[in-house]
Parts: sequence; structure tokens; C-alpha cells
Amino acid sequence: MITLRQVVKSYSRGGETLVVLDHLDLTVADGQFCALMGPSGSGKSTLLNLVGGLDHADSGVVEVGGEDLTSMSNDELAGWRASSVGFVFQGFNLIPVLTAIENVTLPLLLAPLSGKQRREHAEYALELVGLKDRMHHRPGQLSGGQEQRVAIARALVTDPQLILADEPTGDLDRNSADQVLGLMQRLNSEMKKTIVMVTHDPAAAAHAGTLVHLDKGKLVRIEQQTPVSAGAR
Amino acid sequence: MVPFRVIWRNLFGHPVRSLLTAASLVVAMFLLCVLRSLVVTLDAGVTEARTDRLVVQSAASLFVTLPENYRGKVAAVEGVKHVCSWTWFGAYYQRRENFFAQFSTDQDTLLAMYPEMEIVAGDYERFRLNRNSCIVGEALVKSYGFKLGDKVPLIGTFIQRLDGQPWEFEVAAVYRSKAGTLDSGTLFFHHEFLKKAREEKLCTGEEGVNTYVVKVADGNDPITVASRIDSLFENGPQKVQTTTEAEFNAQFVSMIGNIPFFLSAIGSGVLFAIVMAVVNTMLMASREQTRAVGILKALGFTSTTVFLVFLLQAITLSLLGGGTGVALALATSDALRDALGTTFPNYVVSHDTVVVGLIVTVVVGLIAGLVPALKLAKLNPVNALRAEQ
Repeated sequence: MITLRQVVKSYSRGGETLVVLDHLDLTVADGQFCALMGPSGSGKSTLLNLVGGLDHADSGVVEVGGEDLTSMSNDELAGWRASSVGFVFQGFNLIPVLTAIENVTLPLLLAPLSGKQRREHAEYALELVGLKDRMHHRPGQLSGGQEQRVAIARALVTDPQLILADEPTGDLDRNSADQVLGLMQRLNSEMKKTIVMVTHDPAAAAHAGTLVHLDKGKLVRIEQQTPVSAGAR
Repeated sequence: MVPFRVIWRNLFGHPVRSLLTAASLVVAMFLLCVLRSLVVTLDAGVTEARTDRLVVQSAASLFVTLPENYRGKVAAVEGVKHVCSWTWFGAYYQRRENFFAQFSTDQDTLLAMYPEMEIVAGDYERFRLNRNSCIVGEALVKSYGFKLGDKVPLIGTFIQRLDGQPWEFEVAAVYRSKAGTLDSGTLFFHHEFLKKAREEKLCTGEEGVNTYVVKVADGNDPITVASRIDSLFENGPQKVQTTTEAEFNAQFVSMIGNIPFFLSAIGSGVLFAIVMAVVNTMLMASREQTRAVGILKALGFTSTTVFLVFLLQAITLSLLGGGTGVALALATSDALRDALGTTFPNYVVSHDTVVVGLIVTVVVGLIAGLVPALKLAKLNPVNALRAEQ
């Protein structure tokens, strides 16, 4: 489903060009739960941003679900993100002035749905993450784990095939992290979502079926493993 | 689709700051509307002047009186329908600070000459038939409490009774002015009354009248009629200058100096200051909402939508404050007119002023929101998501 061919991405900092992804080739099949691992600066988050259509590659091809993201304009990428991908970030990235259900409803504003349908979808997504009873709380009134579960509800409310998570447990305690990882495993095993998760944490990566190791913008190795169940440790 | 809830909630993300900005907009737009209304009131004599009225004055100066017998001669000119004299009386009521305009006039033609004069109390006919009577504008009734039948004592300044007593006029009717060409803070009495007092040597002051106002008959060109009148007195005994009502009234606006310009300059200063204040608020808001913009973009909202979200936020804030200020100016229009008394008896916050106020409000929002909205719209979502929240 995800194919990267000879992808190069670099940034300019202080007059110097820093190559973050260096002619990278990678394929992630449909329905995989893939953990991207590597030291800081290895290009994990940059790779996630390119696969999520948040940024453009300097060269190479990024194909997701048969769509060539490298040939799309910014507006086309925005439209594609709205329908095809859900994001979960380390800092949760909920809009602080909106309640949980309003945050979850946001992506649905771009879908051809009535107000009633949007509300039903959002409530269902919050129910899936076990937070329907907190739907009128603002992010500031929720714990970190609850905020991240709201973010997961927002990521899946449009029913995208692909969910991208950037250090989703980085700001969470072990218990909350287990809950979030358990949710992601359910999305993968029960709803057949393809999940690509960036993480530094081997314990989090253990929940994925595929480990992709990056270093200095290059693919080091790919490992297949039997994922541990959430709460097993 | 624009997420209006985000706009609304962002507005009150910092309620104290938003309310203070809105409050400053309330004050600024209220002041702007009041200042504009004062300028409009000052200019109304010119902008609302009728084209079918001419004013005949001495060619030498407005302060040189015209002979009494010119009335009949002007009335006989081809194209003239009515003639009505106006003579400045310049007295005060009880105390010098109670000063308002008084004119002696021709009671038979005054009402026909000024269709904008509406009698709202009493009887014009009673005024017409009683030489010692007067009619007063609504503003005088509000300022001094004049009632029908009251005898208004006026103490002359340059037209004084020789016996040292005040002049007295009985209030026969009250009028309302429906246009800026007629002041509702004026007292009119019979010119015949003044003429007789002068003939009988009961008072000081020169004989004659200050101006003759001419109503041009339908189908006649006012400029041609004005030329005929001027030609009639070309060889004296007193040369005249006939102008349109607008030209005549413009003399008075220029006499009071650059007050309209001064008021407009104050208004512009207020506007500039408030634009700076709202720009500052929106710049702070744009910094705080950078990450939220990143979130919206990551969710699939386009740069155009992000631009609209921020611009509408600025315009909504501006409308909340500015709109309230405009509404306040409109709501206090009558109370302010009463408070201004005979200084601005025709003060009113017009619909034009309301429309201008609302347009200015929207433009303030546009100016304040445009640059930060463009900046946010152009942001790369990855960079926006890295911003501090």
C-alpha cells in the first residue's frame, strides 16, 4: 500500500544542507502495523510526514494507496489527507478551545455529512476509545492518556485506511501508553487499519508486527515479529 | 467548509484580551459615528440645500441690509414664486449664555417656502394672524421648556428697545425640521413687528432686511432667475448678489473655519489608533494559534480555509466591538441631540453614518486580519505543528 522509491528529503539550516532521507526505498503492505525506529535525526518523523502528505519530497516517488503524492499540489494533498489518512501526534495536538467531541467532529466538516450524521460518527468514535462520557470536556480537563485517545478517535472518525502515529506514547505514563497501544492494536487487528508508528520506545515497538530501522536517512533493516498484547508487561 | 465553531471559540480563547479589544472598538466606533454625525450636521445646509431656492443678499456684504421695497420688486421678477425675508435679531433669553438664533420673517410665505418645516404643536395660522407671536423649533422647547402661549422675553443686543425692556413674543406654534436646511433651534417672528418698531423709533438698528429667500416657480432655471434679480438692481440703489441656497449656506460653513476638517482629523486619529490595537491583538492571536493551524492543515483543511478562518475571526471581533459602538451611537442619537441643545439642534446619526460605521468596522477587521491570515495560510503544516501552543 505504501511505496517509497529513491526518496530524498533535505533541509537547509544555517546555510548548510542537511540530507534527512537519502534515496530511501520502503514498502509497507496493507494492514500492517509497522514501527519506525532509529536514533534522533534518522529521518523517522520526516518519513511519516511524507507518507502523510504533510510535506513534499525533494525527489523520488511516494505512493500511498495507489496515489502518487509527489505529483499532488498542496490543495490536492489536503483533500487526500482529509479522506485517506488519520494522524496521532506525540503532543496530542487537540485544539484546546474545542471540546472532545468538537475536536473529533472537525475532520468530518470536510465530508458530505449532515450535522446529525457528524455527531453520530463522532460519538461512535469516542465510544470506541472509551471516552463517550467525557465528550464535553475540553483537552485541558482530560489526562494525557485521555487526550491521546481523543486524538485517536479523531484519526479514525473519517474511517481512513491509514493511520500515522508520531511518538503516540512519548508523553504518557506506562498505563496510559498501554491503553493507547492496545487501541492501536485493535484498530489494526479488528478494523484492518494500516498503522505506521514512529517510536523510540522498544516497549511500544513491541506491539507492532513489523520493525523498520532507519539510520542517517537510510533503511538499515526490516524485522518481522510477533506483537505483544497490550498490558502484557 | 469553514469551521465556524473554531472561529468563535478562538475569539474567546483569551476572553479578557478579546473583551478589552472589543471594548476599545466600541468606544472608537461610537466616537467616529458621533464625529461624523457632527460633520454631517454642519454640512447638511449645503448637502441638503434645495435647488429651487435662491438667496438674495447685498453685493457689498451679508451684514449690509437690503431695502424693504426690494421684496415687491423681487417678487415681480419672472420665474419667482415666493419671496420671504430673513433678518437676524441676535437677542438672548434671560441670560447671555441662553443664546439661540432668532429671525424676523414674512409669516405669509415662510411655510410655503420651507416644506421641510412641519408644525407639530399649536397653529401656524394663529402665528400668521398675531403680530406679537412667534414659532419656535423643537430644540428650543427641549432646551428651554417653552410652551404654547408662553411669552418669551428676549433681551436685544444690537436691536434694543429704547425703553430698556425686553422684547416679548407669544409662542403660537412649534415646528420640527425635516431637513438639514432648516435649523430646529430657531425662533421666527413677524418682520412687520420689527419694521413697525423701527418706524416708530422704538428700537435701535438699521431698517431693511438681511436677505430675501426666493422660491423659483416650477419650470424655471434658478440660475436664469438669479441673473434676472441681479440685473434688476444692477444700477442700485443697492446692488445685490443672488446665490443658490447651497452657495449661501456654504458661506456659513466656511465662516466657522475648519471645524469639519478638525473633527475628521480627530476621527482619523481615533481610527488609526484602533486599527493598530486590533492588528496587535490579531498578531498575538496568530502566534498562539499557529499550532492549531497546523492541526487544521493536517486534518485536510486547505490554505484558503485557514486564511478564511483567521480573517473571519478578525472581522468577527471587529464587528462585535465596532457594531456595538455603531449601535450605541444610533441608540443615543436623540439623547445626544438634547444634550447638545441649540448648538447642534439637527444632530442625528443617519443611516448613512451607520452604514459607513459598519463598513469601517469590517475594513478594520480586514486590515487587522489580512497579514497574519496570509502568513498562517502559507505555513507548511509540519512547521506549524512544531510551534509552541
